[in-house]
Amino acid sequence: MRKIIKNPMSLAGLIIISIIGILAIFAGYLSPFDPNYININAILLSPDGTHWMGTDALGRDVFSRMLHGAQISLLVGIVAVGISTIIGIILGSVAGYYRGIADTIIMRLVDVMLSIPSFFLILAVIAFLTPSIWNIMIVIGLTSWMGVTRLVRAEFLSLKERDFVLAAQTLGASDLRIILTHLLPNSLGPIIVSTVLGVASAVLVESGLSFLGLGVQAPTASWGNILTDGKEYIQFAWWLSLFPGLAILITVLGYNLLGEGLRDNFDQNT
Amino acid sequence: MHKFLALLILSLVVGCNNSQNLDNTNYDDLIPPESGGALTNAMIGEPNNLIAMIAGDSASSAIAGQIFNALLKYDENLGFEGDLANSWTISDDYKKITFNLKQDIKWADDEPFTCEDVLFTWKKVTDPDTRTPYGSDYQLVSKASCANNHIFIAEYDEPYAPALETWASLHILPEHLLKNENINDTYFSLNPTGSNYYALDEWTTGQQVKLKTNPNSVHGRPLLEKKITRIIPDLSSQFMELIAGNIDLMNINPIQFSRVFPSRSELNDKINLYKEMGNGYTYFGFNLKKKPFDDINIRKAISYAINKEEIINGVLLGLGEEITSPYKPGTYWENKSINKISFDVSRSRELLEKSGYQLNANNIYEKDGKPLAFEILTNQNKQREMTAVLIQRRLQDIGIDVSIRVIEWASFVNRFIKTGEFEAVVLGWSLSLDPDQYSIWHSSQQGPGQFNFIGYNNPRVDTLLENGRKELNNEKRKQIYDEFSKIIYDEQPIIYLYAGYGLTAIHKKIKGVKKITPPAGVFHNDYEWYIPRKFRRNEMSL
Amino acid sequence: MLNYLIKRILWMIPMLIGISLISFFIMHLAPGDITSNESAFNPKASEESRQKLRELYNLDKPIIVQYGLWLKRIVQLDFGSSFASHQRPVLWEKKDENGNIKPGLIQKALPITLLINLLTILLIFSISILLGTIAAIKKNKIPDRMITLFVFIGFAIPGFWLALILMYSLGVVNQVLPISGLHSIGYEQMSKLGQILDLLKHLALPVFISCLSGLAGISLYVRNGMIEILNQDFIKTARAKGLYEKKVIFVHTLKNALLPLITILGLSIPGLIGGSVIAESIFAIPGMGKLFYDAVLMRDFPVVMGILTIGSILTLLGNLIADLAYAWADPRIRRGLAK
Repeated sequence: MRKIIKNPMSLAGLIIISIIGILAIFAGYLSPFDPNYININAILLSPDGTHWMGTDALGRDVFSRMLHGAQISLLVGIVAVGISTIIGIILGSVAGYYRGIADTIIMRLVDVMLSIPSFFLILAVIAFLTPSIWNIMIVIGLTSWMGVTRLVRAEFLSLKERDFVLAAQTLGASDLRIILTHLLPNSLGPIIVSTVLGVASAVLVESGLSFLGLGVQAPTASWGNILTDGKEYIQFAWWLSLFPGLAILITVLGYNLLGEGLRDNFDQNT
Repeated sequence: MHKFLALLILSLVVGCNNSQNLDNTNYDDLIPPESGGALTNAMIGEPNNLIAMIAGDSASSAIAGQIFNALLKYDENLGFEGDLANSWTISDDYKKITFNLKQDIKWADDEPFTCEDVLFTWKKVTDPDTRTPYGSDYQLVSKASCANNHIFIAEYDEPYAPALETWASLHILPEHLLKNENINDTYFSLNPTGSNYYALDEWTTGQQVKLKTNPNSVHGRPLLEKKITRIIPDLSSQFMELIAGNIDLMNINPIQFSRVFPSRSELNDKINLYKEMGNGYTYFGFNLKKKPFDDINIRKAISYAINKEEIINGVLLGLGEEITSPYKPGTYWENKSINKISFDVSRSRELLEKSGYQLNANNIYEKDGKPLAFEILTNQNKQREMTAVLIQRRLQDIGIDVSIRVIEWASFVNRFIKTGEFEAVVLGWSLSLDPDQYSIWHSSQQGPGQFNFIGYNNPRVDTLLENGRKELNNEKRKQIYDEFSKIIYDEQPIIYLYAGYGLTAIHKKIKGVKKITPPAGVFHNDYEWYIPRKFRRNEMSL
Repeated sequence: MLNYLIKRILWMIPMLIGISLISFFIMHLAPGDITSNESAFNPKASEESRQKLRELYNLDKPIIVQYGLWLKRIVQLDFGSSFASHQRPVLWEKKDENGNIKPGLIQKALPITLLINLLTILLIFSISILLGTIAAIKKNKIPDRMITLFVFIGFAIPGFWLALILMYSLGVVNQVLPISGLHSIGYEQMSKLGQILDLLKHLALPVFISCLSGLAGISLYVRNGMIEILNQDFIKTARAKGLYEKKVIFVHTLKNALLPLITILGLSIPGLIGGSVIAESIFAIPGMGKLFYDAVLMRDFPVVMGILTIGSILTLLGNLIADLAYAWADPRIRRGLAK
């Protein structure tokens, strides 16, 4: 932990995601307006004392929508990554510990999934179902577990031959116990790094989906759809592009800085 | 690397502070017509087949319409005039239309145009093997024949009032080029020969379609020598190209019309804006087969609870109108005598309570333990989405719990509309020029894939619609449809939300555009438009 | 070595079938088909005609039969014709009896996507190697920090946001670069050199933006790889021997650090044919991304399956080449395999 704080980059990352996290959690208290409050007399106002980030095409306060959008963007990121990490841990453990047929099947499955472009899968599923928050989270999660699987498997492969594992096996510990108490805890490093970086990717994917009209649905605010709503008049309503764009940039940057800092940290340990 | 970054930041800074007007030309000069020049516009989708009866998409018909003619067309007041026909007569029993075709007309390849072409086209569109979805209107013709090379006769078993409209939309194809071809597969669809103002010059897939003047054009040469349509799928990119002067015209949205242009004087120096009545209306549709929407009081209550003026001001920035009948405002068929349902919250509550609904602890109306809640479905269309959001807000205010779902088109049609698995929709229809509304409102049209998907069933309306199709006397016809639209409005199976205006931005270098847009629209006289030599782009090709 | 190769190639066949089967089923899970899109809400269009169309395209048959029909054609390298584009061939142009050529969809879309991707990869690799090397040499000092920050920002910027900003500032306000499309008006009249320059001007923004997001991964990889090697014994030996510092770095370190990049190059092969639907839409580039996206929405099965088939073949091949190339290039592995 100390190393993270010593490294200015990862410290910056930690600070950034903490601030955004706090803003997101307390969005309800911090928003001066109801993010869904429509006021057609206040359409497309530029930032001023009342509306710090201006208003959108339905007169809703952009600052409040940005705060709630933080909730949404982070929620999507975290849940999606949570799903992919859990799947990845399970499959990676089985493949790395048991080897043999299980390993072959799982790795071939990974190859198959990597061959089908993930954007196609996400697109197809969301287009066919409905672009709700839950579907988006699940689909992003279901299409990004491959990296974690490979990571966990690689860690298990190298850890499996170590003395403490052999000792535990001789002592008669069950496979599950060995995986859960010995192997997984020692593999945490790369998993954590991958998780942190995964949140960043998921936030970017959601904004891309919003651009195509397949992101989080109206009237819910997300950074992606605030940006997309304003794209046909960015010359006029610059605030609809600037703030969400910067927010996405800073958030993704923060997660990446932290993630890479953690990676350096863990690398130097091994 | 650093230099590049610095340049980038610099240009961003410079750019955001002011907009350099690199174009100091004065476009307001009055210059007499000159022929030549090329108009550049843009489309979001690419045509895929220039035989309009087979292509299903609007991009294809937009281009095909420049290349082909029909027998009739609309004049600037939306009456009928001859396109390939000089004149036409309708028999006294209204069962026979005789078209006198123009003579001494040639196709773009110099072959003569004759009645055989019309007969051939009719045979093709009614042929069950032709992959066209539009055959049904033409199958009503019991007998089509050529009296001689320039008289075409269409006979019907029963008088069919919309007939003239159908003959104004069928592009006549050249028999001599297509008689041995499989029309579903023919290369002609990518390289057609027509009779109208323009012919296909060059089609670069994915990028642009170029049209050039057809010297054999039925109506004589247009002033603009070429038309170039660029394919630009993203509307924000299109708008940027318009502002930069790379395309000459564009359909713009209300915000661009009312906010962007007025805030930029340099844009108004270069570009003129035009406003006209649009071609469609947006409505809120109930699934009449699902409770409680089978109860007319509930439907009316919801209609009273929706503030349509607010929707027009919010979504369209005031650039639209309320309608009470499905016809284009300002045209003959519009029923002006219907009293609007205004925005009246107390009336709405009255009707809900009359039907047995009471506000529950959550401030939502409830009856027999079931709260009044439903889901609005719509497709991926910004305006419809915003409309749904406004409706949701108003209904929520009054105590009706509404959620919104936006769905991609094919899923929308197949999973929800065809199956009848929906509660309410926000969708649009076009504002018809012919008053016939059979396929949308007749009770026989409720099958899967047909257009009476909301499940409307009214025997009186059925009779009116059947009679309306057979009545060729306009006054009597108007009475029929006035009664029809009154019943529809009284029963509120759909709530008419708005008819938006068509907003067009046209660069000032394009001269000849009518200052006052006629009912047929601003593009109606585009064959008279011209670009003075000094405003033309640097094209070395001419 | 040969055994390994044969085993891998044999594995490719069931995998390709698996991938195509999964993709086929996913597409058909979607409600609707091509007939529901064309003239769907046009009151003039009739249901009977749509039913006819369905029969023509075999869409009324059970899914497994449709898959079988498709499989039979694909092994004969017949990718079929597009539903949505009215029988335009999916892969390559076809000549009909009159000698008219109907252009193939993939044939038209692939070259521009390949060009953009190749340019992007070229730029990413060259810039990343440069940045990564500098960062490794000046590890933990200001240049390292700045480079890391720069590549992270590049990754974090939402591409379409940056695209719109650049299009506006460089295309509208300052008119330095074109806004969208591939060619300027009057392209046909330009000289060969003029045409090339015109194309490059149009590709500048799209390539720049896709390059920007890819820099982070590779430059960090190079940086970390070089740091690791610079710390290793054999480098210390070379330094102790008194070899000139720059030679040490560039010749020895770079060679070793670049080995893993070959793997990455191999893994990038399948990405070569993938276009970004967002970038292509904004920049009006008729590439593979837009072709694929439109085909999915229109339920144009032949096109979707055609693109996925080519993509998966390339992915499997790319993985294979990457593994082989790495094994060959790393003398440790090569020696091990030869034993």
